[in-house]
Amino acid sequence: MENSTKSGLKVLLVDDEDRFRNALSRQLSVRGFRVFEAECGEKAIEMTIAERPDVVILDQEMPGMNGTEAFDELKKIDPFIEIIMLTGHATVEIALYIMKKGAFDYIMKPLNIDELLYKIEDAYTRRLLNVKKTNTGSGRGLV
Amino acid sequence: MAGLFIGFLIPHALLSAYFHLQFHSTLKKSGKLSLSAIAESQKNTIDLFLQERVVNLFNLFHSREFTLEPDSQNMENYLGNLRQTNDAFVDVGFLNDRGVQTGYAGPFPALLGKDYSNEVWFKTLMGQSEDYLISDIYLGFRNKPHFTIAIRQSIDGRRYVMRSTLDPDKFYMFLRSISHGKDVDSTLVNRKGYFQVVDPGKGNLLALSDVTPESDSGAGVMEIDRNGEPILTAYTWLKETPWALLVSQPLSVAHADMYRARQVLIASLVVIILSIGAIIYYTTRKLMVRAQATAEKGLTLQHQLIHASKLAAIGELSTGIAHEINNPLAIIIATTGVIKDLLNPDFHLDASPEAIGKELAIIDSAAFRAKRITHQLLDLGRKSQPAMVQSDVHAILDDVLGGLKEREFQKKNIEIIRNYDPDVPAILIDPDAMRQVFLNLLNNAGDAIEGPGTITVTSGLADGFVRVTVKDSGEGIEPEYMKRIFDPFFTTKDVGKGTGLGLSVSRNIVELMGGRIDALSVKGAGSSFTVSLPARVSGDN
Repeated sequence: MENSTKSGLKVLLVDDEDRFRNALSRQLSVRGFRVFEAECGEKAIEMTIAERPDVVILDQEMPGMNGTEAFDELKKIDPFIEIIMLTGHATVEIALYIMKKGAFDYIMKPLNIDELLYKIEDAYTRRLLNVKKTNTGSGRGLV
Repeated sequence: MAGLFIGFLIPHALLSAYFHLQFHSTLKKSGKLSLSAIAESQKNTIDLFLQERVVNLFNLFHSREFTLEPDSQNMENYLGNLRQTNDAFVDVGFLNDRGVQTGYAGPFPALLGKDYSNEVWFKTLMGQSEDYLISDIYLGFRNKPHFTIAIRQSIDGRRYVMRSTLDPDKFYMFLRSISHGKDVDSTLVNRKGYFQVVDPGKGNLLALSDVTPESDSGAGVMEIDRNGEPILTAYTWLKETPWALLVSQPLSVAHADMYRARQVLIASLVVIILSIGAIIYYTTRKLMVRAQATAEKGLTLQHQLIHASKLAAIGELSTGIAHEINNPLAIIIATTGVIKDLLNPDFHLDASPEAIGKELAIIDSAAFRAKRITHQLLDLGRKSQPAMVQSDVHAILDDVLGGLKEREFQKKNIEIIRNYDPDVPAILIDPDAMRQVFLNLLNNAGDAIEGPGTITVTSGLADGFVRVTVKDSGEGIEPEYMKRIFDPFFTTKDVGKGTGLGLSVSRNIVELMGGRIDALSVKGAGSSFTVSLPARVSGDN
């Protein structure tokens, strides 16, 4: 993968487990991402409207609105938003279902930060391509 | 006695057979699901790779250097640009509107001036509405497997083409890199099932694959036999070009995790069946001596049913454990990552002992959370031999209700009403275990009440059973949850507050003493849990 300009890339982390989310957010921040956090689906919607993140890391199992419901809402707000699902072993079925609906990828907990970085960068590249493609009709602009 | 043993063995043999079948179907399903998920994930990355390469070519038309009559230096620069973005690009060619290659840079200079107007890919690109095309792998003029990405651009009414060849070996290296260490084998085949990208050790380019997914089937999983070894293959069609991605794994690898889980399961089943057998042997002997009343046989059968359900619970444990332990584990791994960052001089962060100490405290508490879960789990299995002592149920209840619990309830404005029946005799039970049961029930009752409320503890004697009911004025349980409240790891409490083991451990304990727990709940009006224990006294045979 070529090195995309990730500085300023906005990532929204959605997970109800505060300590996990916090630790992940700090690891991403020191690597140059602008990180926003939400502890539930409802908050994720608010943050997406307010901050327009490029990539969302979305936990599947949360109290209240779950990952699948949140996915639909976030895509309504920004059809180009790229979503990476966070899953446990038991929820791969749901991850598969959401990927077929357009999520970019999934990653299993406990996760490897390097693998997550690759996925975020690829997801961001796909977002850029899709935005450009739409803006320039069938012809491709510069990426 | 022989009859009772047959009555014990047959249901258990049937049950084991049932679980065996059940296990195999779960095994198959979960192996297929995770392989499909990997395939879907790789597909998105491959599509992205191809999309990026197409954009790289389009960008040449938009570059400052672009000219309709490129010389060899222009073409070398184009190729340099392309190879900077990805080294899979082998060459680049510029075709005029008649399909003649008027510019070329790459290892086959003889291709300059070549007429492509009769090549299939050229005709297809000119005839379709989409302005780019990714060809299948072919030998072409150079007689070496390669594939072409070609794009079409209209300039002043004329249509020009920029094409580039990609090296399938480099594409294969990319395919391998995206497996991220997963033990799978990924290949790409075209509509007819010919390899487009393949591990050189597994097959030859352009050879026919032994798996050909139907082109209109979207995605799926199949099991095939390769040289006597069963292989699981998930397939999914790419968006960018009509190739199917095949992700394969030997069945033995796909199911390895589950087989390990099954070994644990079988070992626990053996232990449990043996201990149940021992208990039944022990109780039956007592029963035989006491009386051969038919009612007793009924009781034994009831026990067997109860134990059968316990076996089912063990099956659910393996997935539950993984999930419950994974959450604290995710915190531990992520926080370890934070500490590594703190210590990394590149990041210029605060690596003082205080800063690291703070992170260690988080790891510590997450590790303890995991430990609490394993301990409770051990309790679930350990209580096979209750230490039966003649005990006063009321004394045990008062013991649990007194002290800390009482103060906690007072603080929450919860009133305790004791409704004890003085005629309840002291009975043969394991007092420590019963303390745990009553504590679990009272904790749940307390948690169910928001704001002020009452918990009523009632005792009574009926039909040879001592009954203790813990009733709360809380919010009650959703009817759809009622079936699951005794399941291990089922909880409606917040993360970290309940492990979902309290009721299942309690039921286990009570059943081992020959009793049972019943639950009643009305949404909005509270719940009541009744423990029934056989009213046996010591010396009773």
